[in-house]
Amino acid sequence: MEAQSTPVSYLPIIFQMIVALGFVVTTMIATHLLGPKRKTKDKLTPFESGIEVIGNARQPFSIKYFLVAILFVLFDIEVIFMYPWAVNFREMGMEGLIEMFIFMGTLLLGFIYIIKKKALDWE
Amino acid sequence: MESITNSIQGVPLNHYILFCAILFSIGVMGVLIRRNAIVIFMSVELMLNAVNLLLTAFSVHHGDASGQVFVFFVMALAAAEVAVGLAIIVMIYRNTSSTDINVLNRLKW
Amino acid sequence: MDVIITISLLAILVLYLGLFKAAKALLPVTLVGLLVALGLTFNHWDLANNTKSIFSGMLLFNNFSVAFSALAIISTFLILMLSKDYFERISANVAEYYTIILFALTGIIIIASYHNLSMLFIGIEIMSVSLYILTGIKKRDYASNEAALKYFLMGAFSTGFLLFGITLLYGASGSFDLTEIRNYVASSEEISPIFYAGILLSIIGLCFKAGAAPFHFWTPDVYEGAPTLITAFMSTVVKTAVFAAFLRLFYISLSSVTLQEFWVPVLVVLASLSLLIGNITAVYQQHFKRMLAYSSISHVGYLLFALIALSSASDSAVFLYAAAYTIASIIAFAALMVVQKQVGNDSFDNFNGLGRKNPLLALTLTISMLSLAGIPLTAGFIGKFMMFTGALSTYHTALTVFAVLNAIVGVFYYLRVVVAMYFKDAERNELAVPVYFKIVLVVSTLATIIIGVYPGFIADLI
Repeated sequence: MEAQSTPVSYLPIIFQMIVALGFVVTTMIATHLLGPKRKTKDKLTPFESGIEVIGNARQPFSIKYFLVAILFVLFDIEVIFMYPWAVNFREMGMEGLIEMFIFMGTLLLGFIYIIKKKALDWE
Repeated sequence: MESITNSIQGVPLNHYILFCAILFSIGVMGVLIRRNAIVIFMSVELMLNAVNLLLTAFSVHHGDASGQVFVFFVMALAAAEVAVGLAIIVMIYRNTSSTDINVLNRLKW
Repeated sequence: MDVIITISLLAILVLYLGLFKAAKALLPVTLVGLLVALGLTFNHWDLANNTKSIFSGMLLFNNFSVAFSALAIISTFLILMLSKDYFERISANVAEYYTIILFALTGIIIIASYHNLSMLFIGIEIMSVSLYILTGIKKRDYASNEAALKYFLMGAFSTGFLLFGITLLYGASGSFDLTEIRNYVASSEEISPIFYAGILLSIIGLCFKAGAAPFHFWTPDVYEGAPTLITAFMSTVVKTAVFAAFLRLFYISLSSVTLQEFWVPVLVVLASLSLLIGNITAVYQQHFKRMLAYSSISHVGYLLFALIALSSASDSAVFLYAAAYTIASIIAFAALMVVQKQVGNDSFDNFNGLGRKNPLLALTLTISMLSLAGIPLTAGFIGKFMMFTGALSTYHTALTVFAVLNAIVGVFYYLRVVVAMYFKDAERNELAVPVYFKIVLVVSTLATIIIGVYPGFIADLI
């Protein structure tokens, strides 16, 4: 690939986007225009053995779920520090391995704390 | 990796600076104009991501890896901020059932 | 670096002590750990003053860092002594509060000793994220909630500015290292315009964190809403640390004459705005805590003087001023905590008649107010004196005159509480002052007077 790219070399991307968006928009318009429409009340009720809907679907999340999600984000993001180490694994040798173990050990301390605090229990 | 570096270098540096400045300004405007704590928070994240992009661009143009390592730190600390920030917003939501910052006007001059 | 490692390990230890229900041991362990860290800090004192940077140039723990770290550790120690039975009244998670304060202290020591802009960012973030949590620890208290959200949104916003500034400095100079940036400024014939933009954005970011006008609007609300102990921590230790970071960046990297022509006018405007807004609004406050919050803005204005008159003497000027301000503020907040706990409200009227019933409390509070106002024979006077001589030596006469006028306004509102204590009578009971509080009050008052009378032993330190 050439090092110097000009605005022209981005044209294929624009074409691709136009085609992708165009396809979606055309199909949506086409189905609306072509398809027959019959609006009856029965269509909105649950089908066959479906249960009657109770209340609104937009309910607040359980806080338990929130806590787990937040903890997931925190521990998940720490993986990015392992990428540079993994790439240079051989060059860093034993010293790098020990440092990575210290890092993981610190994370582990946090994890033990979370478990002890019962933050991951779903009742 | 080489080809990625080359293609990043293909775009002039000024374009990156301009683009990131615009993204950053959108974030700043979002913080100043929006009234919902979560949307403000998203705007802050946008500001940080504009900076990340700029750091990567500078890093490649200088041929110096430290800029990209900095991006890692920014991402990790942004995650910590998300955790703390969302916890604060949830705490407020429990007390007021709203995330609109106009509700929060008890403390005044 | 052993101080940073000690304090972070101490934090984890305290956290696990809380997990294993050793509530009695929390405060003693924390205090002993801080003393150990203080000893290790002094161990780094280097008489020859040619310390080498460590961790591949990330940190440079020179005498400047030793002085500011020691100040931070000592003030945290004093503030934590006030915390006995304080956190227990808020919730059961006492160990977590100590841990988070210690983590904030770790961040503070990092920003007192950084030699690479990435460390500046990491240190400021460790400190700020901890403070966001600490501000909101009163979960059911509406004001604390609101303060936490405001502080968090404003803090994250300002972090964005600081980060953009650092990025632009990096983009122009090609390095995060402070010395490399200085070399870039010295060697390049024409400094890239994005470098100037970087300086401006970094100033905005740091001024947000320090609470200088016009980026001060979060300060009063957050200081009022946060629990008083945390406010004491924020307005003393944190402010000092941000100024250490400020000074280090400008002194090492941006001190060349061409650059000074660019950023000195900006800081002059910020300093005079901070003085004006801080002092004028403080006059109109009816509550002690809020008055302290506004007056802290004006102290930021005085501290900015050291940057405006940047020289090798700026280190000790900032250190002395920060030490005087920190010690005096700790006394003020300790007195405030006593009054708040037993009267429930901190308006000036609640200080009436305190001089007769609680002579010790009233006396120490008076000395702290005198020090904050800058009356001679107290530490605050020496601090202001050094700031003003510095500004005069660089011919900022108008600014100095303006600052002196503001200092006179300051005397007015600081003495209000003194007048209330001694000259206004009120029927009241004696307030119980716990022993820990007495120790902190006496030690801080003695320090204020000693620095005020013999400033030499601390001013020539750095």
